[in-house]
Amino acid sequence: MIRTIAQKEFTTALRDRRFLLLGSIILLLLLTAALTGFSSYQLIEGQQKAAQESANESFHEQPDRHPHRVAHYGSYAFRPKPVLSFLDFGLDSFTGSMVYMEAHQQNSANFSQAQQSGSLTRFGEMTVAFVMQWLIPILIIFLCFNAFTQEKEEDMLKVLLSQGVSLRQVATAKIAGYSKVLALIVVPSITLAAVFLFKLNNFSWNTDLILRITVFIISYILYFFIFITGSVLISALSKHSRTALITLLGIWIFTCVLLPKAAANLGSSLYATPSKAEMDAEVHHEAKEGMNGHDPLDKRTADFKKALLLKYKVDSLSQLPVNADGLVMAEGEAFSSKVYQQHFEALVATYHKQDQIAVWAGFIDPYLAVRNLSMGMAGSDFAHYVDFLNAAEKYRYALAQFLNGQQATKMHYKDKETRLSREVWKKYPDFTYEMPGISWALNNQVIAVTALLCWTILIYFLSIFLIGNLKNV
Amino acid sequence: MDIVLAAAELSKNYGDKHALQSLNLELRKGEIFSLLGPNGAGKSTTINLFLGFIQPTSGTACINGTDVAKDPVGIKKHLAYIPEQVMLYQNLTGIENLALLTALAGFNYSKAELVNYLERAGLQTDAIIKRVGAYSKGMRQKVGIAAAVAKNAKILLLDEPTSGLDPKASNEFSELLIQLSGQGTAVFMATHDIFRAREVSSRIGIMKNGKLIDMLDGSRLNAGEIEQLYLDYMKN
Repeated sequence: MIRTIAQKEFTTALRDRRFLLLGSIILLLLLTAALTGFSSYQLIEGQQKAAQESANESFHEQPDRHPHRVAHYGSYAFRPKPVLSFLDFGLDSFTGSMVYMEAHQQNSANFSQAQQSGSLTRFGEMTVAFVMQWLIPILIIFLCFNAFTQEKEEDMLKVLLSQGVSLRQVATAKIAGYSKVLALIVVPSITLAAVFLFKLNNFSWNTDLILRITVFIISYILYFFIFITGSVLISALSKHSRTALITLLGIWIFTCVLLPKAAANLGSSLYATPSKAEMDAEVHHEAKEGMNGHDPLDKRTADFKKALLLKYKVDSLSQLPVNADGLVMAEGEAFSSKVYQQHFEALVATYHKQDQIAVWAGFIDPYLAVRNLSMGMAGSDFAHYVDFLNAAEKYRYALAQFLNGQQATKMHYKDKETRLSREVWKKYPDFTYEMPGISWALNNQVIAVTALLCWTILIYFLSIFLIGNLKNV
Repeated sequence: MDIVLAAAELSKNYGDKHALQSLNLELRKGEIFSLLGPNGAGKSTTINLFLGFIQPTSGTACINGTDVAKDPVGIKKHLAYIPEQVMLYQNLTGIENLALLTALAGFNYSKAELVNYLERAGLQTDAIIKRVGAYSKGMRQKVGIAAAVAKNAKILLLDEPTSGLDPKASNEFSELLIQLSGQGTAVFMATHDIFRAREVSSRIGIMKNGKLIDMLDGSRLNAGEIEQLYLDYMKN
């Protein structure tokens, strides 16, 4: 029975010219989004790879010189674009993709797409995720709004039920039928995306990626199921098709437009973050409390040097077995890095608090749940971005301390003439970044996963219960 | 006995409104019963109670000996229902609509059998494979009748079945009802059409304000007499 009604819904939808037109437009948009997303991914990934290679080469090709000059020359960390981010750009367009790494200074990431593009980027981009999160729910609404109302209006529901079918069976069958219709639109796009993934150079289907794309697809299957079931429920509870359509469009506006904006605004007003200039000023001010290797009058530096003389039991700094300037630099770096790290962690914690409002709002808005989970699986969420920044800072700190160590052990005190061989930095390993695995990503998305599962279970059982107990058919 | 449809003190209230009051009625196998009454008299409420779409306030409605309220899904295998407006699914053809409805009733007819049912119901052969969106009301009604016949139901519940049909289609419909009655199908028909009711029914009930106020013998009165009685009841 269920299969028969589901097949009827499938056939009638495919013969409905209005639905065919809308469905074709959405399919075209999805395919275009997959194509442009992939093209954009290839372009950005190629540019960043070339830029990283160029930056590495410039760093390695520095001539023989003083190691602290090498530390100030610095290097660059380019964030490799996550493979699945071509499906969901997430925050990637707004966060930077490059960090300049130098001594004494922790720079934030620069060169986001939004910085380099026109203001339209800020209104969202046509990505596969955008179409699936925003536009497909509209398609679902137009597909399902009259699922029950039309049959009630035309007395067909009574005819159906008089054949010996229960309301629950009709509801289940309609949900199954509409899901099949939707699959016709979504599956080609997912297939195209898979073909693109196969086409990528040096691409291999590792377990992590397979799991990420599986969770990505499942999260959207659940999201569509929630909208389909919810739409069928509203249709069953409404007397007229027009009422059902207006109600569903109202729900779409609330869930996909108003609530996400409200959650973001509430987060930023409850947990204010300092501006970049404020934070830089504070870090600079506090870092001054530490030693400054470039300031000969710095009292803390003088005390540190005195302590060195006592420790090595020598009378002058030139008698030390190590270069005091290198040690001062290393101490200063450790202190400023600690100060920066504290501020950075506090900033990230504030962003996290802001974000948590939208994350928890996933329990009242499935759009927010799927949006977070989608970004998480695509590797384009805030957590992945912070992980990259941490990796870049870890590399910067290690590089700066390596060079300070070179100065301390290979250079004499007050020696401004000796140049270290270029082979020292030529052999220093390049910055490499590997995205964390799916277990880490899922751990950041536990609330979104739970919210989506709760929604799925709740909406299904609520629908079956309410539709099964409808009084007026 | 062969009683296939029965109502005992069957009542339905909507708040203070008595949509149906203490209906007592029995229909035997092969009997055609017509229920006459103005709009709002309670005819459709009665049909909905027998279909199990609404719950009675008191009393019982039985189909083939089973209380409808106790097994609203199970009793449906014994009955077929044709509403006033058989809209069907506009994007499906006549034969597809019939295949759907019969499949839901548990029958898996071949294409030839479906065509046969539609032709027996009077649908023209060339219309069978056309989408129902292009059908007239009479054509849709014929698909509904074909679905009811194909279900081999013991009871046919009809709600204003001839409303909007042309005289030829109405005549064909009457002939079909008589034919089905001869095969043992009981027919419960709510209608405004006194002449059609007189033509096919063995008993005719008159309903007003939710009450069955008279039961007439269709074979003893002519259509004019029934009409006069009906009008008298409606005046009072």
